Amino acid sequence: MTTNGAPLVRMENIDLRFGRFEALKHVSVDFDAGELVGLVGDNGAGKTTLIRVLSGLYTPTNGRVFFDGKEITYFHPKLAIELGIETIQQAVGLCENLSIARNFYLGREPVRHVLGLPFLDFTKMRDDSRKVLHDFGLRANVGADDEVSLLSGGERQSIKIGRSVAFKNRVIIMDEPTNHLSVREREHVNHLALQLRDQGLLVIYITHDIFQVHKIADRIVILENGVKIADVKSGEMTSDELEQIIREGGRTGASQEVA
Amino acid sequence: MTPSSVLSRLGRRADVGAIVAAAALLVVFTAFDFNGFWSFFTLLNVSQYTAILGLVAVGESLVILTGEIDLSVGSIYGLTAIAFITFAAPLGVPLAFLAAMAIAIAAGLINAFLVVRAGMVSMIVTLSSLFFYRGIIYVWSGGTADSLSKANRVEWLTNLLGGNWLWFENGFFLFVIVVIAFQLILTASRTGNHLLAIGGDSASAHSRGVDIGRAKTFAFAASSALAGFSGIVTVADQPQTHVTLGEQMELQAIAAAVVGGALLTGGRGSAIGAALGAFIITSVRYELIGMGAPSSWYITFVGIVLVIAIIVNQWLSATLRTL
Repeated sequence: MTTNGAPLVRMENIDLRFGRFEALKHVSVDFDAGELVGLVGDNGAGKTTLIRVLSGLYTPTNGRVFFDGKEITYFHPKLAIELGIETIQQAVGLCENLSIARNFYLGREPVRHVLGLPFLDFTKMRDDSRKVLHDFGLRANVGADDEVSLLSGGERQSIKIGRSVAFKNRVIIMDEPTNHLSVREREHVNHLALQLRDQGLLVIYITHDIFQVHKIADRIVILENGVKIADVKSGEMTSDELEQIIREGGRTGASQEVA
Repeated sequence: MTPSSVLSRLGRRADVGAIVAAAALLVVFTAFDFNGFWSFFTLLNVSQYTAILGLVAVGESLVILTGEIDLSVGSIYGLTAIAFITFAAPLGVPLAFLAAMAIAIAAGLINAFLVVRAGMVSMIVTLSSLFFYRGIIYVWSGGTADSLSKANRVEWLTNLLGGNWLWFENGFFLFVIVVIAFQLILTASRTGNHLLAIGGDSASAHSRGVDIGRAKTFAFAASSALAGFSGIVTVADQPQTHVTLGEQMELQAIAAAVVGGALLTGGRGSAIGAALGAFIITSVRYELIGMGAPSSWYITFVGIVLVIAIIVNQWLSATLRTL
């Protein structure tokens, strides 16, 4: 899926310091297209920090980031969006006071010119969001004009995921996508994550539930105190073994480098 | 469409309360015609002051629905009016209009800069502006009232802004155009979608690449521009100013915006609602005057109208939506 054989995303020796606090220490990791990677670690391990570099919110203190073989020298959320890197977070992404159709295209609304003035293209907004509602398994009675405030947590996640697919993204970062979801909704979201991978996207799945992500991920990357302590294919270690690594916080010394 | 889905759609509108209340008021004033509400002079006065307050309220509701507040509109209304009259003598009316509007917009951009770039709370920023520009008015005018010269009163632009057409003040027609334009911006443009999104959930709007600073800058600039425009329309019709021109107008404008369905926490509001809110406040005022109530009652009544409006708004939108 990548041009010139390079990984889709390559992070090399990333350091990130906030004052004296080292959030990331010499983290090197590659991500390929068509891969579902579980990014695991305790709270404060650096998972979200690493992802914020990828989504353009943080600029690394040291180290290099390549996307599709090209080095990234300027970090900004807008650039990440343009490159097709999308982060799906539990708490943000949808405005409750707006309809599904308005949320769907928020920030990149299609317009239709009437008398030279750019008016929102409601037909396109409704049709496209209705298609996602249908494809991503929302209740039949949910309409494109319904406000997001009426939807359940799982339905909101489904819309965010559906939206990221519709916009032809290349990297989907799911930040704790199944927190506060019911069992059935969680399975649905995990199923969607696999579906995205099968379409050739890179899916980075952040969680601290190793058992859940081990079932669906191709590869597991574990961070601890800003350091990568494991990077293994899912088939090579059981979830119990991986949990052991997390519990010991990499103190056993041997970093499990398999990548 | 079934009747209940029509009602449910109506219930989603921010301005549903104002629409119902304005309709109810018209019925009441028609049924119990205390002092000739439908009389020529009352209609003329009500429509004109609705326009003047409504212009300010439409701008105010843009700011409110992004979750901010603009307390400076009354002072900017007065400052722009005085600037227009002062500049008209040396520059002529058209240039004075442009220069006065430039001052209004600049004042809005300064508010926006302090809120967006310096990250200050809009209530404090615009409270400072309220005092600052009111002070400028006192210093600039030296406490005396000024007025347009005879030649400038018959200038075409003065007539366009302050003249009459079909028995109504031109300001009323200009107001209707402004309301339609801003209602379209709010409901059917990208800027409107961004304003509503920011007011509803600015973190989510930001995550979708919405430029929050730009949208808020638009809201503050539009608010000042409309307040200034209203000030010019006021003095084009009655060309004398006073240093207290526009005092407490910010409070009436906020009241009109809130009666019109603007949510102070942001994410909800409508230009039509703000216009109807201005109409409700103004018509109640003229009815009170007509009934011979002491003028001080007006303010008391605005307070009552405000509380009732919020209760009715919440109740109506909750009830209609469940249909």
